[in-house]
Amino acid sequence: MDFKPLVRFQDVHLRYGNGPDVLHQVNLTLEPGSFHFMVGPSGAGKSSLLRLMYLAHRPTTGRLSLFGRDVSQLDRKETSMLRRRIGIIFQDFRLLDHLSALENVALPLTITGMPLEKVRRNVSELLAWVGLADNLDSKPPTLSGGQQQRVAIARAVIGRPSLLLADEPTGNLDDKIAERLLFLFEELNKRGTTIVVASHNEALVNRFNHPVFKIINGEVRLIRSAQTIEQNTESGAA
Amino acid sequence: MFGSRNDVPLDKDASSRFLPWLIAVMVYLATMSLIVALTMNKLANRWDQGLSNSLTIQVPAGQSPAERQAIEKKTALLLQEFKKIPDVKKAEMLTDGELNKLLEPWLGKDVVLHDLPIPLLISIELSQSSARTLDAVKVLTAEKLPTASIDDHQRWLGNLLGLAKIIGTVSLLVVLLVGGAAALMVILVTRMGLAIHRQVVELFHLMGAQDAYIANRFQLHALKLSMAGGFAGLLLAGLTIAAFSTLLGQANSALLPSFTLTATEWGLLLLIPVGASLVAMITARLTVLRSLALMP
Ligand SMILES: Nc1ncnc2c1ncn2[C@@H]1O[C@H](COP(=O)(O)OP(=O)(O)O)[C@@H](O)[C@H]1O
Ligand SMILES: [Mg+2]
Repeated sequence: MDFKPLVRFQDVHLRYGNGPDVLHQVNLTLEPGSFHFMVGPSGAGKSSLLRLMYLAHRPTTGRLSLFGRDVSQLDRKETSMLRRRIGIIFQDFRLLDHLSALENVALPLTITGMPLEKVRRNVSELLAWVGLADNLDSKPPTLSGGQQQRVAIARAVIGRPSLLLADEPTGNLDDKIAERLLFLFEELNKRGTTIVVASHNEALVNRFNHPVFKIINGEVRLIRSAQTIEQNTESGAA
Repeated sequence: MFGSRNDVPLDKDASSRFLPWLIAVMVYLATMSLIVALTMNKLANRWDQGLSNSLTIQVPAGQSPAERQAIEKKTALLLQEFKKIPDVKKAEMLTDGELNKLLEPWLGKDVVLHDLPIPLLISIELSQSSARTLDAVKVLTAEKLPTASIDDHQRWLGNLLGLAKIIGTVSLLVVLLVGGAAALMVILVTRMGLAIHRQVVELFHLMGAQDAYIANRFQLHALKLSMAGGFAGLLLAGLTIAAFSTLLGQANSALLPSFTLTATEWGLLLLIPVGASLVAMITARLTVLRSLALMP
């Protein structure tokens, strides 16, 4: 199951309609097990880059490979199978208000045809892990913003994705909670998940020892490469 | 796959309230049309059998009483021959009394028919009508009494049967049109549902749900709604027919069609709501699949 690299952009351009290049000549590779930040001011194109990676959009030109497969060569079934290996945390969470926290988190499994009863245990355990053991049956609108975010995270990782993409997960959290959230991602990363976190909060990002891409004028540049210093992280402090 | 999980909350859409009613009205119309078509078909068959089983032969009587007597003799012989043809149940000359009765309104009572050039009339009844029997009668008549003319009611009957067929065809056309309109409605409702739940559909799509999974949500919803509406419409049609039958039963007329349906015909009517539901389900599925195909 190891693909080298896991994600590969080759001369990728992205344009919406007839607009200008939002992403310009992107060349980057993500190795399995890596942890990257994606920074840039609002409107720089961070979400667009993530959307390419979770296959909501296709490159206007250039070549994008995921898990060693050129995405333009995939048929519909292969595409959906590939999507199941990618966990997404949306900026706006996109939880379903009419389902309980448990049902929301179970979605990536139930949409593959698994009965809820079969996955209920796993889902409850994961929700307990993110501190929502008492909220299994709560509907999202009754949860706080922070709790909703943890539901969204649990939903993104319940299917044990190889690649986890998080779009501004620290968006409106205060720094302390945001930091704890990133520790949680590091924990997942240690278990083998490749992670990309988009954020406009460079100060926060700089407190972590992971390579950082910055999008400037549509171009993606590696502004800090991975260092090999062992960080003393407080694991699972969510 | 057919689980009742309501992960796309279609039940709360406005369509869930109005689609069953629309389907009910359409199934009602289609059912009534089909009943008309079936009744017309039956009526046509009844006329066809009833009337083709009888023939009338007119024999011009000639000018003089002597001529008339000669022709009467020939006619009597011909009657004997007719009776030898299989399937001829009855062959008889209308008596003077019967003719008198027929002509009374025009000529007054007790006219001496022998003095008038009134044609002789032969009435033939067949136990069952077939081209062979009809031909045998015609050939025999042409041979023995070339002046006679045969009326097998076919022209009159042909017109009536034609009318019945047109009504039947139009009714079936109505069934098809109503079906088409129902399908269009389901397309609209499904598109509406896709628009309302665009976020959910997109989310499922990005999580790796297959098109069929998403389509199932919509097609089961359409199936559920149209089954409810369809059987309500059929029930209404049944009540209407029951009311009609009661009224017509009281009128007790042989000419009016009877609305009693056989088991097969009831089965056919049952096919309408079932068919409507299937059409709704398939239409919803295709609509969703088409719309999903636009998502990369
Ligand atoms: N669906 C879209 N259609 C047209 N333009 C878009 C669309 N999504 C994003 N954009 C434009 O692309 C640029 C990058 O947006 P985005 O990727 O959301 O940036 P970021 O996430 O870094 O804030 C912006 O100028 C935005 O207006
Ligand atoms: Mg963004």
